[in-house]
Amino acid sequence: MRNLASSASSAAIEAEVTSAGSSAVSLPPEAWRELLALSQDESADRALLERLLDHWRFAHGAAFAAVYLEREGRLELEVASPAAGFAGARWLPGMNGGEAPPPALEAAAASAAALEGSDLGVLTFPGGCLLVSPRQPAAENPATAANPATAVNPEHPEHPENPEDAAGAPGIDHGPLPLLLLSSLKILRLRQEIKDQQFQVNYRVVELESLYDVGLAVAATLDLEKLSEEILLRAVSLLDARRGALYILEGSRYRLQRTFGGDAAPWYDSGGAEGEEIPETPEGRKLRAFLAGESPAPPSELLPGARYLLGVPIDIDGSPRGLLAVGDKESRRGVGPFPASDRRTLGLFANQAAIALENARLHLQALEKERLEREMQLAADIQRRILPRGAPEVPGYELVGWNRPARQIGGDYYDLFQRQDGRVDLVVGDVSGKGMPAALMVSTLHSALHLLLDQVGVGPALLEMLNRHVFESSTSNKFITLLLAELEPASGRLTYLNAGHNPALLLRHGAEAPPDVAVAGAAPASDAVKVEELGASGLPIGVLSGSRFQSRGITLEPGDLLCIYSDGITEAESPDDEEFGTARLLALLREHRRRPLAELLEAIQTATGSFSAGLPQGDDQTLVLLRRRLA
Amino acid sequence: MKAGTSMTESLNLTVDRRDGLAVIYTEGYINNQGGEEIARAAYKLLDEGFKVLLLNLAGTKIVNSIGISILIEIIEKMIEINGKLGFCCLTPTIDKTFHIMGLAQYAPIFDTEERALAELGELGELGGHRG
Repeated sequence: MRNLASSASSAAIEAEVTSAGSSAVSLPPEAWRELLALSQDESADRALLERLLDHWRFAHGAAFAAVYLEREGRLELEVASPAAGFAGARWLPGMNGGEAPPPALEAAAASAAALEGSDLGVLTFPGGCLLVSPRQPAAENPATAANPATAVNPEHPEHPENPEDAAGAPGIDHGPLPLLLLSSLKILRLRQEIKDQQFQVNYRVVELESLYDVGLAVAATLDLEKLSEEILLRAVSLLDARRGALYILEGSRYRLQRTFGGDAAPWYDSGGAEGEEIPETPEGRKLRAFLAGESPAPPSELLPGARYLLGVPIDIDGSPRGLLAVGDKESRRGVGPFPASDRRTLGLFANQAAIALENARLHLQALEKERLEREMQLAADIQRRILPRGAPEVPGYELVGWNRPARQIGGDYYDLFQRQDGRVDLVVGDVSGKGMPAALMVSTLHSALHLLLDQVGVGPALLEMLNRHVFESSTSNKFITLLLAELEPASGRLTYLNAGHNPALLLRHGAEAPPDVAVAGAAPASDAVKVEELGASGLPIGVLSGSRFQSRGITLEPGDLLCIYSDGITEAESPDDEEFGTARLLALLREHRRRPLAELLEAIQTATGSFSAGLPQGDDQTLVLLRRRLA
Repeated sequence: MKAGTSMTESLNLTVDRRDGLAVIYTEGYINNQGGEEIARAAYKLLDEGFKVLLLNLAGTKIVNSIGISILIEIIEKMIEINGKLGFCCLTPTIDKTFHIMGLAQYAPIFDTEERALAELGELGELGGHRG
């Protein structure tokens, strides 16, 4: 086949065409020059095709001619002559092996009003066909009606004459013109195929970019509503779907989070228990098969009215969190099923949805933790304000207090305050449990104690009233051990009540310890002193509503040292699970009893810390030390 | 879009015929049906004599490959008749898609309708197109 883009002269082409046979077409030089010019212009492929078809039609004296190309299993009208007013169908039924089957031609005739009843000329070729109406008698041919010999076609004035054979015999001119036409068509088709392939490549890039963008969006925002919409819209558009829905698993049911393109079931229940994976129920099995691609049928009307559905699970480490479904794959012909490759693409979006869901969950968790931490910090601040900022200056006495909670806030409580008449009240309490509940009890204890101290003073009545209040306002397993003491500095008289608290330790100055040392486990020391315990005189506060308490009294002599502590000191554990114990505390008190109380306190802190060897503190620790100065 | 509620799939079109050009406003999904709607409106405007068209996609969040292929056909048609088609008010996603798919090579994309009208309007006036 001659290459129209070559430098062959139009006259030479004309000679060749003319010599092709009696039915060959003879075109004047200006027509060939036009065709040559069009053939050399890449953007004029269609114009060239239209021109060639026009020439071919006129060569036949035909009323209409058309080229149909096969697309998506059907024949689509590519170009028609005349371009305007062609009444043929845009689509014809598909071809079979390159040969237009009779039904196609019949359909063509039936669907094209202009061709109806005609005896069509057909030239088939791989991928399409040329249709041409029969030659018209000269009298009916507008191009030759006036004078067949000299008539000038108004549409194509370059045609000085019509073919001699204008008898209307059916048939196709197989001369060079249709070959040129087919060659032009081939070029057009190749260009179209290249365009289609480029389109597919570009769309693949769009798909990858979309996944990348969704990934960025997932990383950039924790707004689940926004991300759900983004993911659903991207999935629907990239898969050419008409419909889509994103469900999130809540308990045992899937809740509709987002839908596009129509209604979707607001809930889907797979019939499982809360937290259970897709259950072995009929609906569960349907859902499992659907999400695995083993069943095209939806488990229920996820997208009512959709003819074709594709769904994938949204899961995290195999645990279901939701599902993503799209419906009705679009093409130019309508809707159809989704190809297998779409499952992978949808799965990639489902993975992004899973990440978004997990991020959102972790974020909510982090927010909740942050909120709790803020509340704990606030509670810790409140508790720090409850605890005394320092010990009152009591003439003739040294007094220190210290507290270190095991957590941010604690259940230990201590207070040191001096009344206007000079008396000094000492309180050490330990609420059962730790954390926020214990801290709330501490707050209750603090308020109630201060109120009652002003009203009734230190004595059994105070603890009994306090006991009733705590008993009524707390849960059954909450109680408080409490040691409450009141010192009259001038006399050294100390009145105390011990409600189930650790016995306070009193080290008498200058007194030798008796052979039966009062404190069990205390090793004899060379400078042993007499130790007395201020033991319990009643049950812990809050255990029984009618608990009774007794007050006891001792007198602090010059040099006597009193230590009130919580069990967080003596129950501090070593890595070997050994408790620090009262004996070690007592030994420290003995050893450092003559040193300033701040140093004694530091010695105890250091010793318990070393004993625990860096282990987390197991319980709140509280110490109150009181020593009457030597005269 | 509220949670659990649906976004419509149909496309609503509004056409504003102006001096020298016509603006087509879209609202909804540009898919096969939506694309065909736009093509019908565009070709009708061409038949009316408009050779400069602006597609304002402010109301469109989503477009699929069928819709894009139809838009490309409209662009090709506009080139054939020496006309001009422009786009404006695209979402970032659609803007990126149009650039990757090559639409932006043959049809200018504008951030705002004002800018589009300023530029395309001159073409319409220069071409002496009716409107």
